[in-house]
Amino acid sequence: MKGIWWKGLGVLLMLYVIIVGFLMPLRPGITTAFPQNIKSGETSVITASTYNARLETLSASDLRAWLVRDTTYILQAQSVKISGDQSVDVTFDVPENLPVDEEVLDFSLVLDAPEMGSIVLPYSIFIAKKGSDLSSGMTAWTSDSLGKLNKHKGLAIPFRNLLFETLRNTYFHVSLWFSMFILFLISVIYSIKFLRKREPYFDNVASSLVEVGTLFGILGLATGALWAKNTWGTYWTTDVKLNMAAVSMMIYAAYLVLRSSIKDGDKKAIISSSYNIFAFFIIVPLIFVIPRLTDSLHPGNGGNPGFGGEDMDNTMRMVFYPAIIAFTLIGLWMSNLMIRYKKLRNRIDEI
Amino acid sequence: MKYKLLLVLAIISMSINTAFAHGDGPDFFRSIGKIYVVVGVMVITFIGITCFLIYIDRKIKKIENEISSHN
Repeated sequence: MKGIWWKGLGVLLMLYVIIVGFLMPLRPGITTAFPQNIKSGETSVITASTYNARLETLSASDLRAWLVRDTTYILQAQSVKISGDQSVDVTFDVPENLPVDEEVLDFSLVLDAPEMGSIVLPYSIFIAKKGSDLSSGMTAWTSDSLGKLNKHKGLAIPFRNLLFETLRNTYFHVSLWFSMFILFLISVIYSIKFLRKREPYFDNVASSLVEVGTLFGILGLATGALWAKNTWGTYWTTDVKLNMAAVSMMIYAAYLVLRSSIKDGDKKAIISSSYNIFAFFIIVPLIFVIPRLTDSLHPGNGGNPGFGGEDMDNTMRMVFYPAIIAFTLIGLWMSNLMIRYKKLRNRIDEI
Repeated sequence: MKYKLLLVLAIISMSINTAFAHGDGPDFFRSIGKIYVVVGVMVITFIGITCFLIYIDRKIKKIENEISSHN
């Protein structure tokens, strides 16, 4: 039992992540609204397609809809007709005048019902101005307020347009990168230990952790490429986050090349240990700092993603944190095998 | 050997998209809210870990052979 419990824990957590990560449903959301362009002073029917909303279980009287500019300018729908399980026709009687003096204004479409909660498609409907007198028709824009919106009932992860179900990649792709970082961190600690004590075992540990960490990083790049192909339409773009991740992987690839190019065991250990310490402190700004300084296509960037925002909420953290621990424990298990192999190798070479 | 495995891994992950694209309609990966992208990600991760197992298996085999020939 001793020495094996953490391996079992890693496997159990991984199992939990796969099962709960896949079974927890996505919250409902609006995917598209058509037509996008309507004119003021006309009655327009907007067909909205939803995801996971299960509209047929709702009654039409419960479902409310608005076109929302901001907290003051809100236009309530004249009527709402549920036309399918994932489709709804909303009729708006748009006044002659827009609330702001612009030729075209963008509005967000909001649907709300008990159980389902409120769902929104931001900046989706564009209304072109027809009349010229700003003061007329103002009451239609300001007479209604959103009031109390419903919250979605039941455990579900956030709906994000474009991402949809691939939000679950947070549990796999993102955790791979996090655990890679933890493995590199432990490896740096052992590299410092080696440089202080000159014990070959410490170098074995450090190099094994780097090898597994690099594998995780390469898997991170490969899984990211698959996702990018189906979200951005290309495997690789010149995005700052992607390029910096690739650069950090190349730094560690150089570590592996460096190790295999030095024959003398003692020299190899000393040089690669000091390289490892430098490499780690280079990838910290490459992965964590530079992508946050500029704009990036990658989700969870810009601003300060460390505090969550809309990509991460508490229901996701229930799976995300165990996923990091699971991948780290499995990574440690993999490097443990490597360490034991290297120990045997050293002993055989001594004979 | 390790680099060969990594190369194979890279090729598999790059071709996994096109391999499935012709299977079920033009957009297999983007159907059902792109859930198959998540499945693909797990498959790639599994293949990667398997490659590591094969790699370490070969190394241990080498040691075993050395020990048995030494005796």
